Amino acid sequence: MSENVEGIPKRRRWVLTLDGWAVAAALLAALLVRAGVLKHVPW
Amino acid sequence: MADAIAVPRLEPAASSWKFLRVAPGILLLAAVGCGGKFLEQFAGGYAKAHHWTIPNIEYVLWAILIGLAISNTVGVPEIFRAGVATYEFWLKAGIVLLGSRFLLGDVLKLGGVSLALVAIEITVSIAFMTLLGRAFRLRPKLTSLLAVGSAVCGVSAIIAAKGAIEADDEDSSFAIAAILALGALALFTFPVIGHALHMNDHAYGLWAGLAVDNTAEATAAGALYSDAAVLAKTTRNAMIGFVVLAYAIYWASRGQAGTVENKAAFLWRKFPKFVLGFLLISILATSHFFNKEQTTALANLSRWAFLLTFAGVGLRTNFRELRKQGLRPFAVGAIGEVVIAALTLGLVFGAQRFLQL
Repeated sequence: MSENVEGIPKRRRWVLTLDGWAVAAALLAALLVRAGVLKHVPW
Repeated sequence: MADAIAVPRLEPAASSWKFLRVAPGILLLAAVGCGGKFLEQFAGGYAKAHHWTIPNIEYVLWAILIGLAISNTVGVPEIFRAGVATYEFWLKAGIVLLGSRFLLGDVLKLGGVSLALVAIEITVSIAFMTLLGRAFRLRPKLTSLLAVGSAVCGVSAIIAAKGAIEADDEDSSFAIAAILALGALALFTFPVIGHALHMNDHAYGLWAGLAVDNTAEATAAGALYSDAAVLAKTTRNAMIGFVVLAYAIYWASRGQAGTVENKAAFLWRKFPKFVLGFLLISILATSHFFNKEQTTALANLSRWAFLLTFAGVGLRTNFRELRKQGLRPFAVGAIGEVVIAALTLGLVFGAQRFLQL
């Protein structure tokens, strides 16, 4: 783990990758469809 | 980032400023995609009204063609570029949502066949591309990048490998240009060959997923024919970590790249997470978490996401920029692609005969 100059461990910053964002958005959309918020998606 | 790519990669960070920055490009993707959808319906309706018999050109090709026309004539203005680069986000979200159309049994059956064929394809592709690169006297790291790009998953694999083997920007630009140019050609040739050989949906999808390198192009080539291409391509993408790790270890052993301390962490970092999302949605669909209407809604959402992706594929391809990258890497890539396409076609026909796809 990385440390700052005083030797106190820094908290690792959690960064979502593009993949992670895409999966999160798709799962959210799936939940909205399941909950009935998005009822009909035309094509 | 490579010169060959007409638009920059989107940095994954969220803020209202970033949203405003990508909004014009996303609107352009939507306009081009909807234009493609409109042209498909218009051309079909016009031909029918005039009793013409013309081949049905699907929205996928129209969207890509409109994008190519814009990119290669007036170009993509700066204001749209960040948004156009989001096509990769829509691609991955679309693949996850497409999981709702595959029951777990299908995923395991077709995925199992894919896995076996992918293992053969990767081994032969890497060996062949390495020999070809040496024969054409390409720089060794450029050869490695071309081999990774054609064996696994195109641009993503090249970018992942570039960092791991400490290749320079010029080599990765050459490799990306070759893979993108060949992907554009595959888009138009694969469906024609598939129809000429009377391939069924599964066989064609498996072939496109095994032979077309870039995920966006493989999805587009598949969408013209069969969703199975996405499943085969996803199986291939899942191998990216192992192949890049092997290359990282090889170049580290030659003292030309840093050593990999934690191999498990390396594999997890390189693993495409959308594969897990695809499997999760497929498991949920199999366990009847979604009813029939909801499954249709998810499939349609996936189609909309792909519509934006296909528009992006056209908009980010600039042939002038690709040509600047030189002929030799393209020649190596082209010869390799033809051989890999022929090999995978043979593998698919073999699997079709013995496993009844």
